[in-house]
Amino acid sequence: MNYTFQFGVVFAQLPYLLGGALLTLEVAFLSFWLGAVIGLFGALGKMYGGRVIRWLINAYVVFFTNTPALVQIFFLFYALPDAGILLTPMTAVVIGMTLNSGAYLTDILRAGILSVRREEIETAQVLGMSGPQMVRFVILPHIAKTIYAPLSNFFIWLVLGSSMAAIFGVEELTGRAINISTQNLRTIETFSVIAVIYIALTFIASIALALVGRWAFRVRARIF
Amino acid sequence: MNLSVNKGEVISLIGPSGSGKSTFLRVLMGLLPPTAGEVRIDGGAIDYRSRPQLRAMRDRMAIVFQQYNLFQNMDVLRNVTIAPIKIKKRPRADVEREATALLLKVGLAEKHHAYPDELSGGQQQRVAIARALALKPEILLLDEVTAALDPELVTEVLDTIRSLASEGITMLIVSHEMAFVREVSTRVVMMDKGQVVEIGSPAEIFGSPKEARTREFVGKILRH
Repeated sequence: MNYTFQFGVVFAQLPYLLGGALLTLEVAFLSFWLGAVIGLFGALGKMYGGRVIRWLINAYVVFFTNTPALVQIFFLFYALPDAGILLTPMTAVVIGMTLNSGAYLTDILRAGILSVRREEIETAQVLGMSGPQMVRFVILPHIAKTIYAPLSNFFIWLVLGSSMAAIFGVEELTGRAINISTQNLRTIETFSVIAVIYIALTFIASIALALVGRWAFRVRARIF
Repeated sequence: MNLSVNKGEVISLIGPSGSGKSTFLRVLMGLLPPTAGEVRIDGGAIDYRSRPQLRAMRDRMAIVFQQYNLFQNMDVLRNVTIAPIKIKKRPRADVEREATALLLKVGLAEKHHAYPDELSGGQQQRVAIARALALKPEILLLDEVTAALDPELVTEVLDTIRSLASEGITMLIVSHEMAFVREVSTRVVMMDKGQVVEIGSPAEIFGSPKEARTREFVGKILRH
């Protein structure tokens, strides 16, 4: 192999790439929290809803967890305009990833709610707690602790999965790397650099999440 | 069944599994709806369908369960103090001072900041007793509190209860520890198939039972 690495041209674009990294986090953050809202209603509906609601939620979860997120976004981006709905690339990606994460989070949140032990509820009752007090002091902390680790993992997955957005022209980290490499033709160097940036992002996010988990929920996550 | 309890009495309920001992305690605490009959405290009947009455009654009683039922997401001190602070709205400093004394009494003075999953079964059960006592109940219900414990740990819990009995707190005990029941009770209630078979002093029940069913049960239990 006779290849001379030239990272200089890539490093010159570092601020541009880091701006893309910020957008990456934004996409992950938005689809996580919007998906969490869907997931909350999905989980509650699946547990306490009537037959029709349960069926609809099941259909939603099955569809979105068994098709690639990429395919779902393609559908939003290329099929909806025919129905008169035009979405910007960023909106299509965020909506697609939100619907996708909503389906996964429905199952994660449901598992969390199911994990609340009947004994702790009974104890809360005999200690004289009202419904809202029970939710605040017993049920929510318990659910939070149970689902914290899967939620953290899912968030990391979203950070990495948001690179799909590049295909639709969203200039997040991968999108900007594609832009640069088509100009400088230093593809290997460019993608090596963004790989390191991705590692740094997930590494920082993992540590932050693990620290929050230890502090707030006593989740014993290994940091390294 | 018909049973009246005087202040300061220690009443033990014995009988085969399924005879309704635990059910009786659960009905008293309002965890199971009574199908018929009435419960009177200080002469006044309690309407279990009325939330304020249920709450007022739970205010005067506390129960310790077989499976301890500590809140897993709270440390020992918070398990003991949460109800007095958050539900009875008493000042934190007072409650914590009392909790410290109670934990000393049950032999867990150094475990304030341990979490339930870091404690042995016997220690957890003693925390549960301290939590019940922190409510300053007039009546303490103990539902097979040693049944889930290793034999070695039974003693430490029974010692705790023994010292409470000597302080004159009214107790209703469901237990299979016959030697303990015999020693600590003022009266013993023999139950079978949801009915009271016989009520008498420990000497009567264990020494000269009147009913054939009691004789059979006590004979079987004391033989091993």
